[in-house]
Amino acid sequence: MKDKFLINVVPGNTFLHQLTGTTKVRLFVVLLVFITMSFDLRLILPIFVLTWIGIISAKPNWKQVKVIMSVVIFFNLLNIVLFYVANPTVGEYWCNNLTIIGQLNNYFVFPIETFWYLFVRLIKMLTNFTVSLWFITTITPSEFAAGLYSLGVPYKICTVVSLGFRYIPDIARDYENIKISMQLRGVEMDAKRTGIRERLKQMVLILVPLIITSFDRVQTIANGMDLRGYGRLKKRSYYCEHEPTRADRIIQAITLVLFLFSIGYIISVNVWPPQTHMWCPIIWR
Amino acid sequence: MKKSLGSLLLGKWDTPTVVAVAIGAALFGVLMNYGSITVFTNTRLTTAMLVPVIVGGLFGALPAAVACFFGNVFADLLGGWGYWFDWSTGNAVLGFLVGMLPVYGANIKEGKFDIKHAAIFAVVAVLANMLAFGVVTPIMTVLLYGGELTITFMQSFAATLSNITVLVVAGIPLLFALARRYAKGTNLSRE
Repeated sequence: MKDKFLINVVPGNTFLHQLTGTTKVRLFVVLLVFITMSFDLRLILPIFVLTWIGIISAKPNWKQVKVIMSVVIFFNLLNIVLFYVANPTVGEYWCNNLTIIGQLNNYFVFPIETFWYLFVRLIKMLTNFTVSLWFITTITPSEFAAGLYSLGVPYKICTVVSLGFRYIPDIARDYENIKISMQLRGVEMDAKRTGIRERLKQMVLILVPLIITSFDRVQTIANGMDLRGYGRLKKRSYYCEHEPTRADRIIQAITLVLFLFSIGYIISVNVWPPQTHMWCPIIWR
Repeated sequence: MKKSLGSLLLGKWDTPTVVAVAIGAALFGVLMNYGSITVFTNTRLTTAMLVPVIVGGLFGALPAAVACFFGNVFADLLGGWGYWFDWSTGNAVLGFLVGMLPVYGANIKEGKFDIKHAAIFAVVAVLANMLAFGVVTPIMTVLLYGGELTITFMQSFAATLSNITVLVVAGIPLLFALARRYAKGTNLSRE
């Protein structure tokens, strides 16, 4: 698990790393809106490809990426299967049409529209993931906070984000250490060998020391911040934030265009008339 | 020391609160990913639900809500199952309500938490889950993502049940334990 954290504290030296926090956070937020607003493969697929190019250009640690990637693909496939089981005719809602090409029994039918919907959904989820992977691999906690601050978020909230982001690896490491020491004492953690009640009990065994060590830190960190004058003034500037370069201006312009497009799309497609169908090229009538 | 209702709800945003909310959010994110058992698609029996209990008990309702919201965003960021701000909002509402401990007189920092508070906490936990995932999350789902309510409702149902279990079965003993821990240091009076 400890290999799975991609959070970096020192900025790297590729093109995406060199952008300011403001640019990256704005682009990230707009991309999230863009991905969330539709189930249209024509809009999602380009972002999927572009974020992959971004990830490759950022030269991440591929060993880590592979581990996290396989977990994500597994869970998303599992989710897709569960979605199908929950409602096999969900495609009717999205494509206003149902072409059944076979059936197992009265409940488990195989409509093309449902498979199309589930496929688009899978791509959408994976795009969501690549968007956040690109973002995580190229941003540092301070840049994240600086970017949010530039969007007008109160700086105490920005501190929550950067500090929380910064402490996730620490807490995960503590979790792992506590788990290992519990296993050393003979607590069975294997999901296959223990029932759900046992596992819940064991989780509490890990949790109590984890909570105590995590919250014990609070006073130390807070004292350190107070000593450096944190929270004395109403405004704040960020050391990591440099003057925007030409690349920053270009990316910010692209972000603005995407943002305006998203607003237009949301107003014209999602709000009125209410979105009830998706782009579906395979309709047999 | 009597505080107004508003300040109890909003909490005091001094440096320890900011740090505690940050640590709470990080803890929420980590526990959501690793300290949980999947019960339904995207829904887990998760010990992360204990974070608002602690942050709320120590710092008030709004800090608990913020910790939950960003905790859920962190969890989404790490988990890779996509961003579900409807659930983040639901969790924030839940965190706010669960974190209202100081409003009905429980004060973990001074070691004040008894059976009466535990009973109120349990009732609030049940109501908060119903409101957060039965009302707020579906509304946000419609607003943000449009439709898919069958699955949202099934998820809410599973989430409500598993959260209530965690909050009541693990949350109440934890609160008692924390209150006892803090009570040791409070036989001093402020002069």
